[in-house]
Amino acid sequence: MDDWKPSSLIKPFGARKKRSWYLTWKYKLTNQRALRRFCQTGAVLFLLVTVIVNIKLILDTRRAINEALGRLEPSRRRGSGPRRVLDVEVYSSRSKVYVAVDGTTVLEDEAREQGRGIHVIVLNQATGHVMAKRVFDTYSPHEDEAMVLFLNMVAPGRVLICTVKDEGSFHLKDTAKALLRSLGSQAGPALGWRDTWAFVGRKGGPVLGEKHSKSPALSSWGDPVLLKTDVPLSSAEEAECHWADTELNRRRRRFCSKVEGYGSVCSCKDPTPIEFSPDPLPDNKVLNVPVAVIAGNRPNYLYRMLRSLLSAQGVSPQMITVFIDGYYEEPMDVVALFGLRGIQHTPISIKNARVSQHYKASLTATFNLFPEARFAVVLEEDLDIAVDFFSFLSQSIHLLEEDDSLYCISAWNDQGYEHTAEDPALLYRVETMPGLGWVLRKSLYKEELEPKWPTPEKLWDWDMWMRMPEQRRGRECIIPDVSRSYHFGIVGLNMNGYFHEAYFKKHKFNTVPGVQLRNVDSLKKEAYEAEIHRLLSEAEVLDHSKNPCEDSFLPDTEGHTYVAFIRMEKDDDFITWTQLAKCLHIWDLDVRGNHRGLWRLFRKKNHFLVVGVPASPYSVKKPPSIIPIFLEPPPKEEGAPGAAEQT
Amino acid sequence: MSRINKNVILALLTLTSSAFLLFQLYYYKHYISAKNGAGVSKSKGNRIGFDSTQWRAVKKFVMLTSSQNVPVFLIDPLILELINKDFEQVKNISHGSTSECKFFCVPRDFTAFALRYHLWKNEEGWFRTAENMGFQCLKVESKDPRLDGIDSLSGTEIPLHYICRLANHAIHLVVFHERSGNYLWHGHLRLKGRVDRKFVPFRKLQFGRYPGAFDRPELQQITVDGLEVLIPKDPVHFLEEIPHSRFIECRYKEARAFFQQYLDDNTVEAMAFRKSAKELLQLAARTLKKLGVRFWLSSGTCLGWYRQCNIIPYSKDVDLGIFIQDYKSDIISAFQDVGLPLKHKFGKVEDSLELSFQGKDDVKLDIFFFYEETDHMWNGGTQAKTGKKFKYLFPKFTLCWTEFVDMKIHVPCETIDYIEANYEKPKGDFTDQGKAFAFRKLSLPPVMPVIIHHELSFLHILLEDQNMCSGTVQIEHPVMLGMISVCTVQCSSH
Repeated sequence: MDDWKPSSLIKPFGARKKRSWYLTWKYKLTNQRALRRFCQTGAVLFLLVTVIVNIKLILDTRRAINEALGRLEPSRRRGSGPRRVLDVEVYSSRSKVYVAVDGTTVLEDEAREQGRGIHVIVLNQATGHVMAKRVFDTYSPHEDEAMVLFLNMVAPGRVLICTVKDEGSFHLKDTAKALLRSLGSQAGPALGWRDTWAFVGRKGGPVLGEKHSKSPALSSWGDPVLLKTDVPLSSAEEAECHWADTELNRRRRRFCSKVEGYGSVCSCKDPTPIEFSPDPLPDNKVLNVPVAVIAGNRPNYLYRMLRSLLSAQGVSPQMITVFIDGYYEEPMDVVALFGLRGIQHTPISIKNARVSQHYKASLTATFNLFPEARFAVVLEEDLDIAVDFFSFLSQSIHLLEEDDSLYCISAWNDQGYEHTAEDPALLYRVETMPGLGWVLRKSLYKEELEPKWPTPEKLWDWDMWMRMPEQRRGRECIIPDVSRSYHFGIVGLNMNGYFHEAYFKKHKFNTVPGVQLRNVDSLKKEAYEAEIHRLLSEAEVLDHSKNPCEDSFLPDTEGHTYVAFIRMEKDDDFITWTQLAKCLHIWDLDVRGNHRGLWRLFRKKNHFLVVGVPASPYSVKKPPSIIPIFLEPPPKEEGAPGAAEQT
Repeated sequence: MSRINKNVILALLTLTSSAFLLFQLYYYKHYISAKNGAGVSKSKGNRIGFDSTQWRAVKKFVMLTSSQNVPVFLIDPLILELINKDFEQVKNISHGSTSECKFFCVPRDFTAFALRYHLWKNEEGWFRTAENMGFQCLKVESKDPRLDGIDSLSGTEIPLHYICRLANHAIHLVVFHERSGNYLWHGHLRLKGRVDRKFVPFRKLQFGRYPGAFDRPELQQITVDGLEVLIPKDPVHFLEEIPHSRFIECRYKEARAFFQQYLDDNTVEAMAFRKSAKELLQLAARTLKKLGVRFWLSSGTCLGWYRQCNIIPYSKDVDLGIFIQDYKSDIISAFQDVGLPLKHKFGKVEDSLELSFQGKDDVKLDIFFFYEETDHMWNGGTQAKTGKKFKYLFPKFTLCWTEFVDMKIHVPCETIDYIEANYEKPKGDFTDQGKAFAFRKLSLPPVMPVIIHHELSFLHILLEDQNMCSGTVQIEHPVMLGMISVCTVQCSSH
């Protein structure tokens, strides 16, 4: 029974089996000693060889793994095989243009009344990806300058594709033509009225294809041209710069391999910095205030805006969130370039309501992401930010906490033009909400604005809505005399070049760092009234018989305070003010910058006060002999040129 | 002769094989240690000294974080417990004078640290440095729950957990995020797709099984085993929070779907009610917290949270639940002190207690006390008009944290079972079309006058409980009368 163990059972069985195997073997080889010896050595050798091969295999595998880990990236890149060729099709005609790369349409424009001019596409020479897509309406003035600017920014070696829709020569000036010639184009420099033209070339390299058709007569267009050409792709090494391997350059490389048209940020030799480390602000009260940047699909604007924001003293990048309205890639790339947080928002509704919904989502998200914050700074993508923007806020933000009669602090003075703003240390209280870089109190948003924010079906402007008396409830905003933001956007929902030139271009913008604001606490409700009374008491009354639109209305002095009284029958009677604003070339599209019927601005370096009589409580300061100025509005047709231009 | 030869061959075979095996073993060991980045060349360090792998890993990690200015703090329950035991001694030990490694050398798989994310300046740089120092790090990311409440926002992912391995010890860095309601939140550690599931024994992790919510701890610096670390100032409180930290998110997506179907009530009255209900809830929460009484959202308020992540504008009151064992006699006076006078008191502490306080703007605060039986919980309800008593049964439940009207607050983890027991039981999901409609009918004023939902839930119990069928039930409510007759019909058919 002891033998009934598995081991004792198996042993004889296995041995017997082995023996029988050996026996047969032995039988065969009994008398063949040589053969047997040979087999034995053979077996040993075989074993040794196996061992050696095994060891070698292990060692090799290990080396291979190490090598693979070390060289994963380059080997993958190198392994792209033989150079590929892109098959590019470019079509130019009166009413339609398209560009196809390897059968994929990357540009198609056959919309009527749109997309006139020269369409330019930039391809990555190594991957064939579209890096930039622009259209320059060179039928209109100045567009050729933008084209020259853009083409000069494109890195050498990139593949350039140009095609004309409708007309592209009327305002194509010599500089632009010279540039096209330098790109190797034959027809481009000689482009004529209503010619069609398609061009493919490498920047700083050979022309890869060009077709051109002259317009036979002034009233007709050139024949449609279709250019088909092969573009050889170069290797990735050639397409990339050799920047030092740092965290920043990794971001830069990722950005520069995807998009074009950002100039020196992608320059190989001397790239412009993407980290700015401005001086920290001593005793910064807004260090932990979140900054929400509201953006759409204007990546070049966003780039410019973020550069100025990140260069401002006292900025803390981890408090910045960029909210992009729509799933656009390029703005996200710009955000990633600067290492910031970006959030995309599915567009809801249309036009102004879309912007308004985007604002709501962004503000709610900001306070959710920073639950500790009591304020938020709200910026837009088409603003330059002054170097002392945060310093300005740090010095004034306590007012929002201490004074319930305040609605916001804004960095923008609607009436602060080059010729009407002077003193960077001076602050005002105004009844209108200027926006364009402002601070929002959390309690105001959470308790009042958010619950009744206009719903998507209401096509309202969020800022117009915020200015409505139901929302503002008599509260005021603090603004600086000299704006701490600059509105540079020319393209936009309610914006065009003419409008911008008329109302925004000549806006004053502070460039002095570390301005110490004067007497900030005098901006509180009661103190400000005292301050205004003091100002009015010492102000010299101007000669009311003169025309206020004339330059001579104010004497040629400096540093004086003057006051003028205009007619203002009721709180909402702005007839004379609007005419005055128009002739002073300041904001006249609606009333801005008033405080209880008083406007404060600068003229010829003198402080200039305008009081509306009798609606303003400051009318008491009017000497009895003075008759308030009245300006007649012009007839209706010319009455609202601003509004007409705006559309 | 042949036998000897065979033996020789066999011996040779065995020799080479064992040599080969030995080599393989040696190589394997070498390979593994090389891969772990730590030369385990010397002794394994089993003695209680400063060379255990745990201590070394922690030391390296503390060095790494302090060099990068990352303010991590220790949250490991095991070590905090030990520190807490002889807290005085630990506090008195001056820097560097420790003789024995008492805390960080305790054998364990993980050491848990935490970090408040918004204090982390250079995450990428930190990660790179960690890897250069020999740590192998696993990063667990997820989308930001703070953006879930907002329609249509998609942000970049936020880091939730880092697990950094050094030799055979791992540091678990829990990333805390600030949430509205003055608390810290950490996410669920969910391994995605390609992650090596054997990277560390994930099951033994102390944090990350569920999302968690904690009060924001104040920190203090102490020297433990020669290492300077930050720990919560009140380790006892923090340790108490850990087992009850489970957090559940409001179901924002379902709430949006609900509002798409039944437009939100944005009238001035609805907004005013929401505002005062919110203020009342916040006041009640503050008062109960001060008393140290656990409570949760019940009835209509709980339904509001579950169904629409907000206060139901037509619910007219705020309902809370409290376990009877947490009852304190000074609850009533505490509420009175903050301006909430007692309106009704039903039942006794021993049996079906219910308190009702009068808040501002005619908003009522109802507190139901819950009694625990072996297999269920129950609370009593009394109808104010008739004085009739009802009993509402609930399946057993536990409490979870959630976020509601900018507050960290408790709800039953098994919310749906709780609500179903609280209300008439719909067969499907609450957000189902038909059921949602039924629900709407229950509480929407335009359809019928507000029904005190307890009555309905009572009926529900009534229908199930045959014993009560024989009793006389009288409810003087115009809408209820019809339903009573239904009940009677059903009862008589038995």
